[in-house]
Amino acid sequence: MEIRGKGAKAPRAPFTPYPPYPLYPFKMIELQNVSKSYRTDTIETLALQHMNLSVPAGEFLSIMGPSGCGKSTLLNIMGLIDEPTEGSVSLAGKEVTSYNGTKVARFRNEQLGFIFQSFHLINDLSVVDNVELPLLYRRVGTKERRRLSLEALEHVGLSNRAGHFPTQLSGGQKQRVAIARAIVGRPNIILADEPTGNLDSHMGDEIMDILTRLNTDLGTTIVMVTHDERMAKKTHRLVRLSDGERVS
Amino acid sequence: MIKNYLTLALKVLKRKPFYTFISLFGISFTLMILMLITSMGDALFGANQPMSDVDRMVFLPMLERYTEFYDTVYTVDTIVMDDGSLRMDSTETLEPNGSMNNSNGQMSFSFLDNNLRDLADVDSYTFLSNSSFIDAYLDGRKVTMGTYYTDARYWDVFDFNFLHGLPFGPDDVTAANKVAVITERIAENYFGASGADIVGREMILGNDPYRVVGIVERPLKDDETIAGDVFLPVTTIDNRQYTSTEIYGPFQAVFKASSPGKRESIKQQLTFLAENYEVPPDANYEHIRMYSGTATESFAANLMQTTDTERAKLMLFIPLFVLLALFLALPLINLINLNVSRVFERKSEIAVRKAFGADSRDILYQFIFENLVLTFIGGFIGLVLAYLIIQYVNANDLIGIVRLAFSVKIFFYFILVILLFGLLSGILPAYRMSRTTVATALR
Repeated sequence: MEIRGKGAKAPRAPFTPYPPYPLYPFKMIELQNVSKSYRTDTIETLALQHMNLSVPAGEFLSIMGPSGCGKSTLLNIMGLIDEPTEGSVSLAGKEVTSYNGTKVARFRNEQLGFIFQSFHLINDLSVVDNVELPLLYRRVGTKERRRLSLEALEHVGLSNRAGHFPTQLSGGQKQRVAIARAIVGRPNIILADEPTGNLDSHMGDEIMDILTRLNTDLGTTIVMVTHDERMAKKTHRLVRLSDGERVS
Repeated sequence: MIKNYLTLALKVLKRKPFYTFISLFGISFTLMILMLITSMGDALFGANQPMSDVDRMVFLPMLERYTEFYDTVYTVDTIVMDDGSLRMDSTETLEPNGSMNNSNGQMSFSFLDNNLRDLADVDSYTFLSNSSFIDAYLDGRKVTMGTYYTDARYWDVFDFNFLHGLPFGPDDVTAANKVAVITERIAENYFGASGADIVGREMILGNDPYRVVGIVERPLKDDETIAGDVFLPVTTIDNRQYTSTEIYGPFQAVFKASSPGKRESIKQQLTFLAENYEVPPDANYEHIRMYSGTATESFAANLMQTTDTERAKLMLFIPLFVLLALFLALPLINLINLNVSRVFERKSEIAVRKAFGADSRDILYQFIFENLVLTFIGGFIGLVLAYLIIQYVNANDLIGIVRLAFSVKIFFYFILVILLFGLLSGILPAYRMSRTTVATALR
């Protein structure tokens, strides 16, 4: 689904674009032979080595591994916010490795939603303005933007905080705002980098519930990096990394 | 989108009051001072009534008479001849010894009239005397008036704004008619009101009755060629001064060149005339020099207490421009500094925006827009401040008769300058930030 142009109308009840997992046999994410190395003047660090991974549409996948094993790098490459040194990345059926500039910005905007461990909300903006962000760059009209944002906030149970600022919220609430921001543009893929890492177990469970619901109700493909075995067990599949390589 | 940039910019400015205050203070204060300085410059040197043609005017306020002193220098050459005898040749030369007898002063009417009537490239010219004061008595009150004696061409050279009546003409001057052009202020002081009915009425100046023929608006500056209270025909001046054949007198001359570029030609003609002037044999001086200059040159010469107008201009304006540049540089560097730190402070915001679909252009526009909003608000405050101060200065005569005018043109020119710096200071860091990879910025 695409929402485009000023004042473009979004469908009223769009929260079920795909049938729930595992009925949809379409590869949403496909990494082939992806490597990533960081180079300084003296040393070259290999963060990912010849990674192959494919994620079917509607799957909730978790990635685990010790610190520095390349989990976040993998997620960033899937999210097109980092480039692989070699290999190819396909997202939603499109080969995107060569995308750059406006094209990659547009693709991120339409297909991807991010959730970060430290929330990364913009403190100068109110909650609802934060949630609106992806629609703003999709050039959706003001009223429509507001309506969709409130809907997304409702989905995470925070519609009563729309006018607040991030600094007035608890960690769990901030993460729920971040989730609302990630889903407001109805992306096909959500990438979550330790979404429960900064939260206590109770709030962590709440966030997991929301993500699970998102996955089952809407069929959104979710890839989540986590350190928490308990959270990982709630997902469909677990991939373990070590030293930049898949071990399971 | 633009509306969104605007709302965001205002939100950001509101959320960081201290930063906003510092930025706005820098911008508005700088702009205000610049406005005041240029307004002052415009009042002093601008083409305003009655000096609308100031860029064509050459002023000759005075001349210098001087005698150089010479030493007689003997040179003796000794030559050894073939026969071994010595032969001596001596020569005698006169060399200036650096000392000089000189005096400066205004000129007599006859000197100007006899020598400076027929210069080339002159559209119009006037000879005037501005050094008299006449007292008038009214109901026991003494009103002292700066009195100018002028020819009829004075009103061609200077385009005074006549509120009522007309200037006196060549016939009045030839016939030495006792007529007067007075300023509005004097009309109010002397007659108690300024109106069309004042024209034709008599006023007693000194011992003589004069008929008012015109009332002019008070000039906005006190240049010595226009700042009179009362203007009378030159022929009504004390007859000894009018007919004196001395070179000195109470008069000066103003020439209006046919174009601004011809001013140099007039100055050169005056220099040439002075160099070739035949000094009367019985005079106690040997040479004369005429100091002519444009409005700015004369102003500088006056201020710097020197007769060399070219040098005075450099002496006055070079330090002035350096100071002005320094004064401008400080707040602008401050602005750049603030912008740089602000953009880098919002690194993660930029990364988040990019992660959710902003491309580099969106980021660039956003920061440029924020700068524009800030500059415009600062500019507006500066404008209001400058306006208030100008009103205050004018209402209280803080700089004498000089009236500061508020120039919209100058205001927009400075807004442009500040915008340019704002853009440059905002674009560079924003551009660099918009290029960083999201992953790095979010780490």
